[in-house]
Amino acid sequence: MSSLEMLTLLELGYGRRETGADRHASAAVRMRVALRRLATAGRRSLLLIALLAAWEAVPRLGLIDAVFLPPFSEVIAAGWQLAQTGELYDDVSASLLRALSGFLISVVLIVPLGLVVGWYTRLGDLLNQFIEICRNTAPLALLPVFILLLGIGELSKITMVIYSCAWPLLLNTIAAVKQVDPLLIKSARTMGATPQQLFRKVILPAALPTIFVGIRLASASAMLVLVASEMVGAKAGLGYLIINSQYSFLIPQMYFGIFGITVIGLAFNAVLEAIERHFMRWKQPAAG
Amino acid sequence: MSPVKIRFEQVRKEFITRGEGGRPAGCFTALEDITLDVRAGEFLALVGPSGCGKSTLLDLLGGLTAPTSGLILLDGRPIGGPGRDRGIVFQQYALFPWRTAAQNVEFGLDIAGLKAGQRREVARHFLDLVGLSGFADRYPHELSGGMKQRVAIARSLAYDPEVLLMDEPFAALDAQTRETLQGELLRIWRATGKTIVFITHAIDEAVVLGQRVAVMTSRPGRIKQVIEIPDVLRSEAEDVRSLPEFGRVRHEVWTLLREEVQNAQQGQLSGDARRAGREVEEEAHV
Repeated sequence: MSSLEMLTLLELGYGRRETGADRHASAAVRMRVALRRLATAGRRSLLLIALLAAWEAVPRLGLIDAVFLPPFSEVIAAGWQLAQTGELYDDVSASLLRALSGFLISVVLIVPLGLVVGWYTRLGDLLNQFIEICRNTAPLALLPVFILLLGIGELSKITMVIYSCAWPLLLNTIAAVKQVDPLLIKSARTMGATPQQLFRKVILPAALPTIFVGIRLASASAMLVLVASEMVGAKAGLGYLIINSQYSFLIPQMYFGIFGITVIGLAFNAVLEAIERHFMRWKQPAAG
Repeated sequence: MSPVKIRFEQVRKEFITRGEGGRPAGCFTALEDITLDVRAGEFLALVGPSGCGKSTLLDLLGGLTAPTSGLILLDGRPIGGPGRDRGIVFQQYALFPWRTAAQNVEFGLDIAGLKAGQRREVARHFLDLVGLSGFADRYPHELSGGMKQRVAIARSLAYDPEVLLMDEPFAALDAQTRETLQGELLRIWRATGKTIVFITHAIDEAVVLGQRVAVMTSRPGRIKQVIEIPDVLRSEAEDVRSLPEFGRVRHEVWTLLREEVQNAQQGQLSGDARRAGREVEEEAHV
């Protein structure tokens, strides 16, 4: 047995004993662990807390005109007011509905398409030029076209989101299929895997991490495009809230709209990360 | 004497080399006139200089490619494609990183359509056989190289192939792990009675493991000579590496191989010279 294997054995043995001890850990130990976690979280958000404090202090000290940059507390108060009138709920639900439906439709349509294009090389060669052209046409540049063709209703906004999500999803899925280790395919073939089995049991799981990169990029792109299209023509939504507040000189509301976009973006990302962790428990942690 | 399991009859394999723009530029002969019998239950080691077509030979046996001419017979029938009657162990393990050790061992059975309960039982048996009983639920990245290769061996044995094909399986391991696994492989071979074709570039390994050692020539690959390993070196109890007989056989294989390595190097040198010449020509055109 090699020293490396010995080491692994030792580590595993040690690890097992530790989990055994954990089960019998006293409340005091658990408390200390919780406190340490809290301290770590505090250290990590130090910069954030400092920024918020500066946001609060700078306008109050008159360093920046409070009309253009109201203190953080005023922004939150404005948000509270918006929430009470129900306006916030309308805007958030409108934005969420558009972003989520566009994003999900795009994933459901484009990921399977990418898998097929990646798998059949000929199809990829055929579509390559078309994909390159579309990908390099910035979605926002097409916004007027979508509005002309589909009106200023939900259809044009959701189509914009679908379109902007499509390219990162498609390119990453195609790359994911192409990057599958040929040795794994060879190995599965020698064990008598049929093409369907090969696809389901090898290509798909091997491609998943790269597909997820595309999904993460697509979610960011969805928010960007959504806010822009809501700014151009909409009756509700956070983009509308931001631009309408600016026009009406309700600056705290405008900042709260921006804040809302950030929170939705973070929530989106957290959900995606959780899904990714669930599906990719087998992945080697990047630090290890 | 046991019946012939695998028979190579004047097998030849050519590859079309592609030049600029993917147009066929020429023909490259990887294997030429391979004629060889492997008996049922035999452990045959195959050594050759690098680039002699050892792995091509294994791909042919695995049914991943077809010979340009000649026949490869398994139990008297030509090989038509990959199948679970042959198991392949690769140098780079080729484990599926998203499957645990046990799930990796189950892969072939999964493909064959075995039920989950049965699969799990077989996987446990073969993980025991390779000495990894406590590691069933580990993912490949949590295992050392030696352990990964044990899983790969268990995976290939699990669907009960009659022939085990091994492509330099221990080449990426450190010396101690390699020796341990060589011993383990001999034990598994004796316990299961599989026919094993073992490809290696290490002479010691070939002499320690093989009942016969086939030495291949450099490009194009041919079988230069097949050496019978004396029974003294097949002893289970002794450290065969310390026997004088081991040194003698080892030297015999080494001498055969050295000529081929020199040939291969010369071939490469003349190739380089030719390439250099072409470059000069191109410059002259400019």
